[in-house]
Amino acid sequence: MESLNFQNMLASLSRFWADQGCVIALPYDLEVGAGTMCPETFLRVLGPKPWKVAYVQPSRRPADGRYGENPNRLLKHTQMQVILKPPPADIQDVYLASLESLGIRLADHDIRFEEDNWEAPTLGAWGIGWQVMLDGLEITQFTYFQQCGGLDLDPISVEITYGLERIAAFLQNVPSVYDIRWSNDHSYGEMRLEEELELSVYDFEAASPVACRTLLDTYEAEALRLLGSYKDLKTAESKKRFPLRKVYELCLKCSHLFNILDARGAISVTERVALIARIRKMATQVARIYVGRLTPQAVETPVEAQPA
Amino acid sequence: MNGSTVPLLVEVGCEEIPARFLTDAERQFGERLLDALRDGRLLPVVPESRANGKGSTPNSELRTPNPGTTYSTSRRLVAYIPSVLPNQPDLEEQVMGPPAKVGFDAAGKPTRAAESFAAKAGVDVSELLQVETAKGLYLAANKTTPGRTAADVLAAALPDVIESVTFPKSMVWESTGVRFVRPIRWVLALLGEGDRARPIRFDIAGVISGSESRGHRGAGGNALEVHSFADYAQKLRKHFVEFDPESRRQSVRSEVNVVLEAWQEAVPDPDLEEWVVNSTEWVAGLRGGFDPRFLELPREILVTVMRDHQKYFAVEDREGKLQPYFVTLLNRDRDSRGVIRAGHERVLKARFSDAEFFWNADQKVPLSQRYSDGWLERVTYQANLGDEGSYAAKIRRMRLIAEQLSVELEGQGRLDGGQRAHALRAVELCKCDLTTQMVQEFTELQGVVGGLYGRAQGEPPEVANAIYDHYKPVNIEDECPRSVAGAIVSLADKLDAVISGFSVGLEPTGSSDPFGLRRAGNGIVKLYVETVPGLRLSLGDRPGGNMLEFFRERIEFYLQSVGLRYDTARAVLSDQASRGWQVPSDVLARGRALEQVRDTDDFQALAAAAKRTRNILTKSAKAEDFGDNKKVNPDLLKASEELELYSAYQAARSELGSFEAALDYAGALRRLAQLRPYVDRFFDKVMVMDSDLAVRANRLRLLSELDALAFRRFADLSEIESVSGGTEAGNG
Repeated sequence: MESLNFQNMLASLSRFWADQGCVIALPYDLEVGAGTMCPETFLRVLGPKPWKVAYVQPSRRPADGRYGENPNRLLKHTQMQVILKPPPADIQDVYLASLESLGIRLADHDIRFEEDNWEAPTLGAWGIGWQVMLDGLEITQFTYFQQCGGLDLDPISVEITYGLERIAAFLQNVPSVYDIRWSNDHSYGEMRLEEELELSVYDFEAASPVACRTLLDTYEAEALRLLGSYKDLKTAESKKRFPLRKVYELCLKCSHLFNILDARGAISVTERVALIARIRKMATQVARIYVGRLTPQAVETPVEAQPA
Repeated sequence: MNGSTVPLLVEVGCEEIPARFLTDAERQFGERLLDALRDGRLLPVVPESRANGKGSTPNSELRTPNPGTTYSTSRRLVAYIPSVLPNQPDLEEQVMGPPAKVGFDAAGKPTRAAESFAAKAGVDVSELLQVETAKGLYLAANKTTPGRTAADVLAAALPDVIESVTFPKSMVWESTGVRFVRPIRWVLALLGEGDRARPIRFDIAGVISGSESRGHRGAGGNALEVHSFADYAQKLRKHFVEFDPESRRQSVRSEVNVVLEAWQEAVPDPDLEEWVVNSTEWVAGLRGGFDPRFLELPREILVTVMRDHQKYFAVEDREGKLQPYFVTLLNRDRDSRGVIRAGHERVLKARFSDAEFFWNADQKVPLSQRYSDGWLERVTYQANLGDEGSYAAKIRRMRLIAEQLSVELEGQGRLDGGQRAHALRAVELCKCDLTTQMVQEFTELQGVVGGLYGRAQGEPPEVANAIYDHYKPVNIEDECPRSVAGAIVSLADKLDAVISGFSVGLEPTGSSDPFGLRRAGNGIVKLYVETVPGLRLSLGDRPGGNMLEFFRERIEFYLQSVGLRYDTARAVLSDQASRGWQVPSDVLARGRALEQVRDTDDFQALAAAAKRTRNILTKSAKAEDFGDNKKVNPDLLKASEELELYSAYQAARSELGSFEAALDYAGALRRLAQLRPYVDRFFDKVMVMDSDLAVRANRLRLLSELDALAFRRFADLSEIESVSGGTEAGNG
């Protein structure tokens, strides 16, 4: 069988998880380091309400940039993110079935779940789980979230994050991610190589540390201003109107600027720890407000997941 | 098998348990289960020693009479107990009631109190006893509690047994909040076998136990109905689960041989073997290959990529030359179609391409430039150190330590100017590899990569080797750096770690040592003993008491690791010993000498006399008893025994000095042993605490001089245990 091209892989996985009852959300329209940072994960794993979602999320890690020269490493890679809250008892089997949907015949392969616990200090989030290895290739991070935004989770969510370029290169048997067939007519390189080079140049060389720092301070000040105003809100109605997701977006902006400054080599030893703490403080406040708003009335009102 | 007992089989099925936790989890599971069987009075032999009380059960009791066996795989903990009582024996016990005079009225008729006590104990009033106690005559009853069935007892106990297995890192995953290492997905609990086998039913974390196990997930993971242990073993193996880790270990070894050619050998790796055993349910070998052009990369990098990142065994020929092959062990049956091999080969090729890419990219900025451009200013060493927390600051501190060590070694004539320059250059460059892509990807190669790059970038071989070796020794078994320059860099690195760590309160406490300072301390001691002997510990200007105690403990640990008895170590490390303990090589030399002589009769007697002397000097005598004289006054020595002892040790004095100057501690200690007859006679015949105060003071002076000259000069001999007690570790 001809292996799937990249866009058909995305479609197959989305179809698979939709069939499992997941809402298929849109990719988030901000720079994030991982699908975990999107509100569909960060916020919705909080609180008691069950939730099933899957989405494709381009994820940026400036320090991983290689100017498009390294065949296996990308500044911006593509994740397929799945959240199941609470996880079904057969979740590992369901996940393995999703690999079959990509044309991976499990009987032909050696699949291992190797211990790999996950932690995101800027989000106050951590979990327990594995990296899933397919014939020695890490293809998925599989995590039972334990905490998010510094809060213990109940119920627990399972997060399944596929690294799509790796899986595609493996399935298509190509030596470089840039050789992946995106569609039948276009390669991954045609779609993304120039972008990798340009983003690498900016993050490693061209970014102005002064400008990045100023932006970071400005976004943070705006977020803190809004957070400061929340405590004056007395009524449930006014709390409901509080632009919590905007505060979270500002926090994500800060996180990305931090990553650029870090890749740029512009962060000193003591500053680094302090910056992480500043971002975590915003994220944990957002989480607390989100959970606090989940009063009995609020639980009934949020956007309902539509059955696929 | 005993007809009155039944077998018990318990299997806890999980999602994949981390390999590093498995062996200990299996052990705990077996111990907790036996505890529960014992507490539930379900083991056929209940040893008398139970009377010692709960928790005092010695280990040997667990194994007699062969109570059971445990097994494990990456997805299960298994315990098989061949003989369990199907019912608890009835429990007969005497229970105490109210005082007799409350229980019976003046006419001897039972009161309400007696009747309700009898009812509670389940006996007729006529069966009540009267027992004499310290508080008077009381009513009592012989109460019989009927034994429950093993199934009932175990249904209540097994959830606790499972939950009591603890892990360094555990999780919750469902609504009951049970904590375990990974989610529990099935539980098999089977009592009896064949037609009489019955599942023990209980609920744990939402899972109902039963009589089903499961096969290997890759083979379908079918539910398998089990009727006995033999049935279990046969069905699991048929479904690709080898539940006995020792069998999997044998498979690892035989499979490696099967897939390799006769002229090939897997690079031995016990840790990797252990990992394979504990991360599988079934084992099959696979040999793959890679492009020989990658052999141009250093062996260290190739082996690290294969071992640490891919869990492959590297392959070499009989001469130890690395070959373009690898062996991996699959968690399934053999790769008959070659699909898996092709996958692994592609992954390894990508990994090696990465390494090749990093190597080439890293060469664009040599280590020397990374140093002079201050790249390390931005790399965190220890954030708690504030402005001094960068690696650049650490290098500045290391340089001061290295200079100090160099001066001392030059003073000994053990270092020349060239070596000194090499050591200081290596200090400057040794951490620069932390800024390379290679080390950022393969962190375990820090130091090694620095050495390899230094060599490739034209640093002198002495500098490159010193960088390469500077993390050594990583533990007490590891080798030391191959050169003095390397030892200087390693010492500077580790001394700085300890000194700066203690300066901001990061010292180890109890079992917690998050920054690995004990390991660093062990390395420091080993280096001082083995590569720069004769040097005094270089601990900065004002080492605090905690740090001194820390190093004393590290030296003690080292001495015991090279085979010195604990009391020998204590004797040479005692604050009483006048040669002190801060020259580790000297401490070891004295310890070894003491081991040579301490078991002789003369020396044993001398050690006893040392204890006696110390007691007299520090306990019996008061400060005023010593009088004003600083030295022994020979004119006041009246008894012949004290005169002879005095002359004997005066005669020994210059000889001891010569032995000490030549560092011949065995000679010195043997010479000391010759004092024994004089010491013995003195204590036999002479009363130290004489009623004449001047005589008493003079005799105390005599003992005090003897103590300083003999008993605590090279070691504190009063610490030496007598032969009978001396071999009992921990005694005293």
